[in-house]
Amino acid sequence: MAEVYKLIHPVKHFNDYISLNIRPDGRVFNEHRNIKLNVNSIKTAEASAVVKCGNTTVICGIQLELATPKAEQPDIGFLVTNVELPPLCSSKSKPGPPSDHAQVTSKIVSDILINSKCIDLKDLCIVPDKLAWVLYCDMVCIDNDGSLVDACIMTLITSLKTLSLPSVTYDAETEDIKVDPSVRKKLNVSGTPVATSFAVYKHNQSNIILADPTAYEEEMCGGSGASLIVCYNNGLLCGTHKFGGSNLSADCQDVTLKTAKEKSAIVENVINVCKQDYESNK
Amino acid sequence: MVTDNADLTDFKLKPMKCEFNYLSKSDGSAILSQGETVALVSVNGPQDIKMQSQSIEKSTLEVIFSPKGGKPSVGDRYKENVIRQTSETAILGCLYPRTGITVTIQELEDFGGLLSCSVNCVCLALLNSGVAMRCVFAAVMCAIDDSGNITLDPGAAQLETARAVMNFVFDGRDRSLITGFTEGNFSEDAYREALERCRAASELVFTFYRDIVKKYSNVIG
Repeated sequence: MAEVYKLIHPVKHFNDYISLNIRPDGRVFNEHRNIKLNVNSIKTAEASAVVKCGNTTVICGIQLELATPKAEQPDIGFLVTNVELPPLCSSKSKPGPPSDHAQVTSKIVSDILINSKCIDLKDLCIVPDKLAWVLYCDMVCIDNDGSLVDACIMTLITSLKTLSLPSVTYDAETEDIKVDPSVRKKLNVSGTPVATSFAVYKHNQSNIILADPTAYEEEMCGGSGASLIVCYNNGLLCGTHKFGGSNLSADCQDVTLKTAKEKSAIVENVINVCKQDYESNK
Repeated sequence: MVTDNADLTDFKLKPMKCEFNYLSKSDGSAILSQGETVALVSVNGPQDIKMQSQSIEKSTLEVIFSPKGGKPSVGDRYKENVIRQTSETAILGCLYPRTGITVTIQELEDFGGLLSCSVNCVCLALLNSGVAMRCVFAAVMCAIDDSGNITLDPGAAQLETARAVMNFVFDGRDRSLITGFTEGNFSEDAYREALERCRAASELVFTFYRDIVKKYSNVIG
């Protein structure tokens, strides 16, 4: 019966839940979904991680390549991030070139990574003007059930934290490159950027903030993707993005900042536990 | 938040110049310059669109951002998304079901703050086109330097040395936040202060809108 009701009166169905102070999946407004994290899942990648937040599943793999640095900035390497939304992740993704939503998500993820300054691109340079690492970080969404950016950032940071770069010797005269995969150096990642998504729903002239929204909740709040993304690294904000959804008042803003801070502590803990576990089993 | 005129003198934005009906063939158009940054916007619609993109509940909004040179990139998709989501909140789309509204933005000059200039120009072009709207919206940008000073509407030189750059779009009725996006890292207090200052400064943009509409309208005096 409830399923039929949802199809006939989608807005009323959702409103009824919200007025009872509960969400359709049984969570309260500021409750997050369970996080499951697994590292080194792809053996052919240099570093990888899979994360599951509720049903949202994103896998990230990092590939390494050597390249010549740009002439304008001879002492920095490259970090290339990409988010892919294949047709299998949701009924809204179609085959073919990347959709607008995938491109926007890609841009938000790479912006957050750059703004958080957690990777110093100078660490990726081997010999200035001659040789530098290129990190290809590919994130593929397997199941898109909302809060995509949170999951992407989480797998990306976990992958980067478990990445170690092989040592390279470069002969300046013969331009001979020797890579020794047995001697590795860990990549330095400062802090743990954590993104937190919210959906902002207008209910009886007031704003309701839903933390970690599902795809259904995001749709009810009238946007493709979450309405508000707040990102913390080392206690500093490194990106707030608000698109669509209901307008945000000042007191709701404070609630979101507080929730985001709490979540970043939890996620940081999850990533650290996972990383330590991986390193002790190596 | 209401600010009286005495307060407004503290807030300086770059000089704005606007012309309506710049293009003769579109339903609404506006060209806006904020300092040296210039954007041109054309609005067409509500008009017929192909079956698969029609929505039975509201009109479909299509936003196209054309950069000054080169091919459209991922960054341009992001700008289109910002503008689409912002205008979607403002336009009363439910009045025009099964139709499409096309908004085209052409970058003319970029000396910093192109996106906020484009958002303001889109609002003016929508006003000019006569599409029914819930509210008007105004974008204000600010930069924070290393010592924590907040500069409203920064120039190209200030943007280069800035630690963080923030863009906010406000609703014309209650000045609540419609859209916001930031670059760089900053503390919570800096964020709050920047938001409030931009909110107050948005009053100048709304006043500017009123002046422009008055100038072009013979009915409203």
